[in-house]
Amino acid sequence: MAHAVDACVHCGFCLPACPTYTLLGDEMDSPRGRIVLMKEVLEGTLPLADAAPHLDRCLGCQGCVTACPSGVPYGELITAFRGWSEPQRQRSALDRGKRWAILRALPAPRLFSLAARVGQFAKPLAPALPAALRAPLDLLPERVPALHSSPKVTRARGQQRGRVAFLVGCAQQALAPNFNAATLRVLAQNGIEVVVPDGQGCCGAAALHTGARAEALSLVRANLSAFDPGEYDAILSNAAGCGAGLKEYPAVLHGEPDEPQARAFAAKVMDVSEYLFQLLQAGDLAPPLPASRPLQVAYHDACHLAHAQGVRAAPRALLRFIPGVSVLEVPEGDLCCGSAGTYNLEQPELASQLGARKASHILSVQPDLIASGNIGCHTQIQSHVRRARSRVPVMHTVEVLDLAYRGEL
Amino acid sequence: MRDSGKRANTTAHSPLSTDLLRRLAPRQVLTSLAERRNYRYDAIQFGETPLAVVLPENTADVVVAVKAARAAGVPIVGRGAASGLSGGAAPLRESLVISFTRMTGLRIDPVRREAHAQAGVVTLAVSDAARPHGLIYPPDPASFRTSTIGGNLAENAGGPMCFKYGVSGDYVKGLEVVDAHGEVHTLTRDAYDLAGLLIGSEGTLGLITEAALRLLPPPRFTRTLMAHFPEVGACAEAVSQAIAAGAVPSKLEFMDRACTNAVEDYLVLGLPRGAEAVLLVDTDGDDLETVEEERALVEQACVAAGGTVRRAGTDAEAAALWQARRSVSPALGRIRPQRMNEDIAVPRSALPEVVREIRALGDASPFPVVQFGHIGDGNLHPNILFDPRQDDAAAVHHLAHQIALVALRHGGVLSGEHGIGSMKRDFMTDALDPVTLDVLRDVKRTLDPADLLNPGKVLP
Repeated sequence: MAHAVDACVHCGFCLPACPTYTLLGDEMDSPRGRIVLMKEVLEGTLPLADAAPHLDRCLGCQGCVTACPSGVPYGELITAFRGWSEPQRQRSALDRGKRWAILRALPAPRLFSLAARVGQFAKPLAPALPAALRAPLDLLPERVPALHSSPKVTRARGQQRGRVAFLVGCAQQALAPNFNAATLRVLAQNGIEVVVPDGQGCCGAAALHTGARAEALSLVRANLSAFDPGEYDAILSNAAGCGAGLKEYPAVLHGEPDEPQARAFAAKVMDVSEYLFQLLQAGDLAPPLPASRPLQVAYHDACHLAHAQGVRAAPRALLRFIPGVSVLEVPEGDLCCGSAGTYNLEQPELASQLGARKASHILSVQPDLIASGNIGCHTQIQSHVRRARSRVPVMHTVEVLDLAYRGEL
Repeated sequence: MRDSGKRANTTAHSPLSTDLLRRLAPRQVLTSLAERRNYRYDAIQFGETPLAVVLPENTADVVVAVKAARAAGVPIVGRGAASGLSGGAAPLRESLVISFTRMTGLRIDPVRREAHAQAGVVTLAVSDAARPHGLIYPPDPASFRTSTIGGNLAENAGGPMCFKYGVSGDYVKGLEVVDAHGEVHTLTRDAYDLAGLLIGSEGTLGLITEAALRLLPPPRFTRTLMAHFPEVGACAEAVSQAIAAGAVPSKLEFMDRACTNAVEDYLVLGLPRGAEAVLLVDTDGDDLETVEEERALVEQACVAAGGTVRRAGTDAEAAALWQARRSVSPALGRIRPQRMNEDIAVPRSALPEVVREIRALGDASPFPVVQFGHIGDGNLHPNILFDPRQDDAAAVHHLAHQIALVALRHGGVLSGEHGIGSMKRDFMTDALDPVTLDVLRDVKRTLDPADLLNPGKVLP
């Protein structure tokens, strides 16, 4: 951690890239300020409890990592710090209960789906509930769909060109089951066989980023034994947060005996848009049918695609590949939408301000459709766009491609 | 604030903070240790932890804060985004820091071609707001996405555009200033140019709360080129020759090999890693033929000096090159964690010798010494890179002094744009004669008799 802290020259280039600094305008809630706070806590010149509120407000969006010329690995820094400091935190019983519930329900799709259904009935009561309970209810879709379970193997259509493993994710199976269904269809359409290995589970990112290191480690190791990188051309995720989490495995297991295994695994991990873009570049992507009318698609960069994985061009190119589709850039596009994993549950007020800001920027370009590549962003943006009384559809990039292949776009 | 019940008792209950909390809203006064520790640095230096921090939302709040500090006898340090490079915003003693980041009022008057910006407006935001009216605010310090108008004016910041268009102070039509007594003044540039006196005074004579800024229509055409050279002096010769031949580029920027490699590590643009010097040039204007002609003049001078020239093909390519240039200073953190940043400005004719002499000083020292800067107007940023945990601070300071003397020996000055702050204060006696220094001290005593405004800065 010390090296990462020292790399910061406190130039302040990160300030405008930080959502909380943008909202609050104070130094302690900026990346530069948080680095100073972490350093001083580690050096023992500042009590953890003093620094904690400001560190808790960090979304972990890594916008600052993109903006940082001196190469501070802020994402690794805050994750390591949260892991180190969590055991020393003194949290209230309510707080502990909430964290326990989130970290338990999120990786368990059946439990999550059940909770979402119960929540759906409680939705009308939301205004009367305390904020801690209101936040998750606000984010629930109007109708919670049936849980989708992906087949163990989806055969390629036509000549088989590749074979990939697929991480099905957690919450999105319950909240947006069509993400996975569309992903399997689009891959199959392009001659790719998709395997959903048994024994896979949550990627562990939510646990890791909230400081629950022991839980994270067991999830990471479960996935390492479920996926044998030697068997597949790639290991795909269609959720930016999960994909970034999988790519982090070598850092999580740094210095552990299974670090080499984590490296071999992470080397194969790709976002579904990266993989499809490779096919596109090789001239191997099947041409979709044209949209039924010219469509202006606002593409939202998920932080864990753009900042954490550096994937920006691929999803845009895929959307533009559909005849009739043009891609609109969203003002302030580098700034997080406020979803950020479990952030909208832990810091509902700031998350909601960021969500409203994002929705208004997206709607300002008057799109026919909004696309993104992450379930968290999807839920957050959908909820805030609806609150702004807009009916513009919000979709995963792969859902847009899937509709085009079926001639339904 | 879930840990609030268990928080350590690190809040400073000074008479000043009690007074401030009574007069201002709680969100405007920061007193906890975590908060105060965060307001003690700029982009170079860490100073004393302030006694309290005020985040004013308007000029009246600034007046309240100044009067409270004055009553308590506590020094006052103004602060924008703290991206400065001379220690200007870092308190040297226990102080009240007034951070202007929430004073972001901005109004564009397209008919008068003016922007009225409060001190905390981010520099780039002025151009962003003016552009729909067909206007821009030219000053473009490297940190302009972060830095604030108040800080830019306090340090009289420059930027690549200032070779052709002038520095921040050249765009000021008037200032609103709170003085050391808490009185509000509107300063213009008439009679005694008091606005000019405040510009570059680094918060030692008054606090700038608002500025009326001159806006310009942007040039219709801009052309960008990059040249690289096998030796630093050759790059400087090309610059002198191009300007002597009649070219007036809008930007003429230079970075040496170490700088190029540091930004290439960050942005991966395909910059020439092996070149000893890279030159970035914009020519601009409303007449395309002249713009192209000027670019051709620069190209010829570069080739004659042994350089290799590449034109930017697209706007995106040009934008990427300029992002690279803006990132140089922070990217140096990849080489060593700390840098002693100089800001010398020398006559253009002396440039080849100056860059070669500084290069030689660097080669003979144990520290990496890198050079970059606004070479068009002779403004160079030699940086000594070091690690404070291992390296001898006195040796760094000695080398910095040697570099400053190179500039002075060739008829140059110590600061082109970053200000003197605390970093270069000691070299002021080399730069100015004693009589002039006495006049500056008289000015300071007249405007701030109790020495409350940013004490220890600028004047030795």
